[in-house]
Amino acid sequence: MPSNETAIITRQLSRVFSVRLKSEGLAASVRNFFSPVYKNVEAVVSLDMSINRGEIIGFLGPNGAGKTTTLKMLSGLLVPSAGSIEVLGFDPFNRDHDFLRSISLVMGQKQNLWWDLPPVETFEIHRRIYGLTDEQYKTRIDELIDMLEITDCLQTQTRKLSLGQRMRCELAVSLLHQPAILFLDEPTIGLDILMQKKIRNFLLDYHRRFKPTILLTSHYMDDVAALAQRVIVINHGSKVFDGGLRELTDRMRPEKIMTVVINNGEFPCKMREGCRLIHHEGQLYRFLVSRELVGELAACLYTTGQIADLSIEDAPLEEVIGQLFAAGDAPPKPSA
Amino acid sequence: MKNLTANLATLAAHFKIILTYRGLMLIQAVRLLLLPMVLASAWLSIEKTAENPYSDADYLLYYLMVPVILNLTDSRLVFRFPLSVRDGSLSRELLKPYPPLAGYVLESVANNLIQLLYLLPFTLIMGFLIRDRLVLGHLTLPLLGCAAAAVLLGGLLRMLVSGSISLTGFWLEDVTTLNLILNGGIWALFGGMIIPVATFPEHIRQIAELLPYRYMLSFPIEILTGRLNSGQIAQGLVTTIIWAGCFALIARQVWKRGLKVYSAYGG
Repeated sequence: MPSNETAIITRQLSRVFSVRLKSEGLAASVRNFFSPVYKNVEAVVSLDMSINRGEIIGFLGPNGAGKTTTLKMLSGLLVPSAGSIEVLGFDPFNRDHDFLRSISLVMGQKQNLWWDLPPVETFEIHRRIYGLTDEQYKTRIDELIDMLEITDCLQTQTRKLSLGQRMRCELAVSLLHQPAILFLDEPTIGLDILMQKKIRNFLLDYHRRFKPTILLTSHYMDDVAALAQRVIVINHGSKVFDGGLRELTDRMRPEKIMTVVINNGEFPCKMREGCRLIHHEGQLYRFLVSRELVGELAACLYTTGQIADLSIEDAPLEEVIGQLFAAGDAPPKPSA
Repeated sequence: MKNLTANLATLAAHFKIILTYRGLMLIQAVRLLLLPMVLASAWLSIEKTAENPYSDADYLLYYLMVPVILNLTDSRLVFRFPLSVRDGSLSRELLKPYPPLAGYVLESVANNLIQLLYLLPFTLIMGFLIRDRLVLGHLTLPLLGCAAAAVLLGGLLRMLVSGSISLTGFWLEDVTTLNLILNGGIWALFGGMIIPVATFPEHIRQIAELLPYRYMLSFPIEILTGRLNSGQIAQGLVTTIIWAGCFALIARQVWKRGLKVYSAYGG
């Protein structure tokens, strides 16, 4: 039984697509015409997850892992093949209007804005559809325009906006009704680094103010690192990890990366087990060091007085996730 | 009330979009005006037989009204909806607390209303120019009311027929051929576009009166020609309502099933 704090809960959620196979060659095409062959593709397999209100979840997985399919089921676009979903107590596929008023799905490659009209017109239609009062509309739109810095693009036909401007307007229209749950599917795809950062900062700011539950998919690990409090990783449609980012890093890459630049001469400390040199170029050394040895090695280096620079960091998230994806054939047991 | 304001806002948005595409309006104008004018000329030039109940005045009034009625009962649903299933943009509509097909219907309505901007003046001017050859004395307010009701119901029926065909887009990659057969060729023949239904040979006319197509175009104009008595008008209106009800049920069932197979492409 989900608590009042639970926003999303799925039990044994599965989705199977029937895909028609087409072999190569004319003869195969003729054969296929009279006797089509189908294959069942399991996009999502027995997915159990529980997300509390106000959480920001990074929903990760390689291409074709089932992320978007899951988001579509959670938002009511796709009917599950098996299992159950509750989003704010609703069955999404019933498309109850109260449910639809509580969610928003932003897909980086699809758009909610009317292509031939300026964004301000879409806002106006959206306002009518969601039944916002004049006061609600004015307060919210002013706030969003300010936070997203979109004053300049409001009157321009959507088709003539840059990708970054369009994405920010997309966010504005999707948040106008202040959804309790926000599904973000690759919201920064195709954007330059500066714009990605702007969107991330906006989402953090928006979450701080309004506390929506956010389920975010992104292939940009900077998005995930900056926004997600918890990550759920799926591969081949199944959950392979559910927990904090730190927990994920600790599990997949228990070592830290220590980069040392020494002043001159030989490396001044003796290497021991749990410390492995992975790169050496001139005075620069890079080691993979087990967490318990990090302090000891750093102390040793400092006492020699030979250090020009020293940095200690976790393995890049891309590598951690990549390692988890690569382990897809023998996934670690889900932790939650 | 909420839906009404949303509908008006959506309708207004479609007006604005249509007005940005002036070229498309011109093409629509050619489509709506050219064929009826050609057909009118053809039917006026042939010799009338004793079996043909239509006089030149009837043909003139009939084809003068065809572009207006054709436009008012037109539906663009079949062009827009299957496309949105294929490219996944239907998802946008499904995620709103608003009837998902309303936008497509309102786009059609907006398009039909915009075309009146030139269709009505054209019809009035043409009517004025051929006023000596038109017989309009029989037009009374009740008759005009019946014709208006027939146009509304005919428009609804065509929308539902187009809608039902459009919804097969959940399964078919291309519905245009199906539309061309069911809502194009057969409609043009039995709807009275090519030949007024009243001038069909008796047994074919009886078939035409049973099919839904007559009520999408010919029937409202037949009312205007004054050749139908009140019983025939009532029968026609009831037949239109029955067909509309049948197609509403079909559309509802197809929609329900279609949603289950809709895979919201991508990802």
